[in-house]
Amino acid sequence: MSVPKYSTGMAKVVNSSLYQHTLGAAVESRIGRIILLASVPLLWLIMLHVGPIYQMLKISLLSHYPVQPGVESHFTLANYAIFFQESIYFTPLIKSFIFATGATAFTLVVVYPVAYYVAKIVKPQGRSKALLLLLVPFWAGELIRTFSVIMLLANRGAVNVLLREIGLIDRPIPMLYTSFSLGFGLVYLICLYMLLPLYSAIEKIPSPLLDAAADLGAGPFTRFRRIILPLSRDGIVSGCSLVFLTCIGVFATPMLLGGPNTVLFPETISSFFHGASDKWPVGAAFALIMLVTALIAAAIFMRLVGGSKRRAI
Amino acid sequence: MRSLFSDAPRVTLTAIYWAFIFYLLLPLTLMMAMSFKDANFVAFPIGEWTLDWYAKVLQDKQFLEACLYSIMIAAATTLAATVLGVWIAMLIVAEGIKGQVIIFALACLPAVVPGMISAISLRIFISTIDMPTGTAAIILGHTVHAVPFVVVMALTRLRSMPGNLVDAARDLGADSFVAFLRVTLPYLGPALFGGMIFCVLLSIDDFVRTFFLGGYRPTLPMLIFAKVQGGMSPEINAMATLVLVVTAAVGLYAEYLTRRARTR
Repeated sequence: MSVPKYSTGMAKVVNSSLYQHTLGAAVESRIGRIILLASVPLLWLIMLHVGPIYQMLKISLLSHYPVQPGVESHFTLANYAIFFQESIYFTPLIKSFIFATGATAFTLVVVYPVAYYVAKIVKPQGRSKALLLLLVPFWAGELIRTFSVIMLLANRGAVNVLLREIGLIDRPIPMLYTSFSLGFGLVYLICLYMLLPLYSAIEKIPSPLLDAAADLGAGPFTRFRRIILPLSRDGIVSGCSLVFLTCIGVFATPMLLGGPNTVLFPETISSFFHGASDKWPVGAAFALIMLVTALIAAAIFMRLVGGSKRRAI
Repeated sequence: MRSLFSDAPRVTLTAIYWAFIFYLLLPLTLMMAMSFKDANFVAFPIGEWTLDWYAKVLQDKQFLEACLYSIMIAAATTLAATVLGVWIAMLIVAEGIKGQVIIFALACLPAVVPGMISAISLRIFISTIDMPTGTAAIILGHTVHAVPFVVVMALTRLRSMPGNLVDAARDLGADSFVAFLRVTLPYLGPALFGGMIFCVLLSIDDFVRTFFLGGYRPTLPMLIFAKVQGGMSPEINAMATLVLVVTAAVGLYAEYLTRRARTR
């Protein structure tokens, strides 16, 4: 077998008998190649991408976990039934959905014109700079962005102090630890997840199409409704799903910006893991309820908005 | 009249863009400004300015330890996620393998599952395999979170790679493993580097997974969270500002590198 001569360190490795008899031999055969290529990825995907969800499902159907000596754990659906029995359990989920839906809708309306501006109005040379400016806060991270919202909305935060200086108010408006601050914080946290999908969808719309429509007498509003909106549908669907699913799973922001009236579902779930340890199955069941309802909501949305691809083309 | 009318949308959109930039930057700017306040409570107006909080933070052992701990976790996460992500991407683009769509869907799963649920399921998972909470569990959780992003970035680049590059290497005598190391990996290079920096930021940022998988040693977000809950002080602002400046610099550098690679 002729092995070409390299003049590098790799040649020594490749030509060594250890390599020739192990990896080198393995990649020569088709089966060996497939095993090398597929083993670790498949193991990882099944163990760690599917495994945790599967274990969560399994434990949500058990009466006791972690298993204690002397306690028999058996199959039960009771953990799911608990959810429907008490309003302190299902109201947080409803609130989570209201906040996530509201934040998603609001973000879409606010970010759409911005994405359109960068994709179609800014000249191609300036686009990456215009995008970069939008991405700066993105590097701040979840916690720091949430924290910075407090600076704006606190009783002695910028907004209240400014309003008092102008003389519009005598005493601060309590904004922090309310639904308002939570909604504001959520939008601030996630608005950039909306930007990139919208931007890439709008950028793909051929500009001559818009010029042609304008030549044929379509005004800005008609062009938007008949061309831009249908052709950016993919971006709207993926942006909204991403924002919605992120929003539903946010844990720190409601704890820092919300008040006693804005307990969201993640906090409810978390209480089963940090309280008495035998409530894990209930927590697992609740997490699954949340996952399934959130995915169903996202799927319905995709179906409603994105299902009619033929019409868009 | 017509030109005035047709310019109205352009002007409005420009105004909206700048208003949005203002909205994005305002809270962070206020947060940074507050870190210079010469008083031990957080309130506007700032009045006297000082650098004392920075001096205090830079001597704060807890903060420095949390920084090191976060960086260590991010490095391990990035290394593991990059290897696994590229490996999975190679499997997806490989010829003669069935079920690529399913593999791709599985690879993207952790990116679709909301953060809280991902954290809970991982907490349950490590307990079923008798793994204690702590550093290893955090790294595992962060890696699961980061892998989908590496897979997507590597796939985009791999799909644009001319197939005959690897064929040429094979004709010249390289076996598939050597061809991967000497041709495919260098071709992936810039995209991969951008993905790696993204993994670092993802890991340093992560709060919810760390919260459920971590032990008593705080990472940066855990420390900031505990401090915010414990009461406001410009010290937190100084801490957050330092973290923000460093992560933004890293992010900008990654952006610059990937852009340079793309234009070449």
